[in-house]
Amino acid sequence: MTNGDDPDAGRPGLAVTRVFAAPRELVFRAWTEPERLKRWWGPKGFTTPFCAVDLREGGVLLYCMRSSEGRDFWGRGVFREIVVPERLVLAMSFADAEGNVVLATYYGLSPDWPLESLMTVTFEELAGATRVAVRDEGVPPGPDADGTRQGWAEMLDGLAAYLAKA
Amino acid sequence: MPTGTLDATFAALADPTRRAILARLASGEASVNELAEPFDMTLPGVSKHLKVLERAGLVSRGRVAQSRPCRLEAAPLREAADWVESYRRFWEGSFDRLEDYLRELQRGDDDERR
Repeated sequence: MTNGDDPDAGRPGLAVTRVFAAPRELVFRAWTEPERLKRWWGPKGFTTPFCAVDLREGGVLLYCMRSSEGRDFWGRGVFREIVVPERLVLAMSFADAEGNVVLATYYGLSPDWPLESLMTVTFEELAGATRVAVRDEGVPPGPDADGTRQGWAEMLDGLAAYLAKA
Repeated sequence: MPTGTLDATFAALADPTRRAILARLASGEASVNELAEPFDMTLPGVSKHLKVLERAGLVSRGRVAQSRPCRLEAAPLREAADWVESYRRFWEGSFDRLEDYLRELQRGDDDERR
């Protein structure tokens, strides 16, 4: 597969990108310092009351997300790669409050969630701004087993308009 | 989410021919012959893919005489899309707050700034 200069361009999985009007160093620190992470991590309506970061390869990011109903979801990531302030690769999992890896079913979520998924975050410097791209290979096991997961996310994107009408 | 459904859906979507078949069916029902047309594939070849799609609940077959037209079943796709959506929601929510936080930091009204 040829994908130009971006080594991640052809990687399977989901990608989410946003440009932030802030210098790259600051954005990177917001991602790697626990007190800063707690300010923004988690879906809408959630807070992050606990976060600990051991920023070294093999080190662990452990966090607790709390829903608006007060339900806690613990998660952890093991740093696989750290390139300050350009790139982070983490192996992400659900966890219990002690930081042990647990299945998604522990939280009543689909058993299709993988036990561990690789998340790559890149921080690209633009003029006074930073483009953050999060790529996640956390897709359900079927396509994994087939070795051909690529394309399904695009497929779903393409069908989104159809589904909105259906 | 029911066990295994997502799995079957994503496995069915893992093949480009099957994705193309679904994309074709998204614009309306079609016979097996019509579905086979754009592909360099025998009718049995296309039927094999259709069986996978049927088993995953993504395609159903009508009962019109001998043609048995194929129809897209959207429900499992919607479930798969929901799964992707929950992922997106996580990042949209996080990014919205990160945006606010970075703005706050740059206004200098955060004591932590060093």
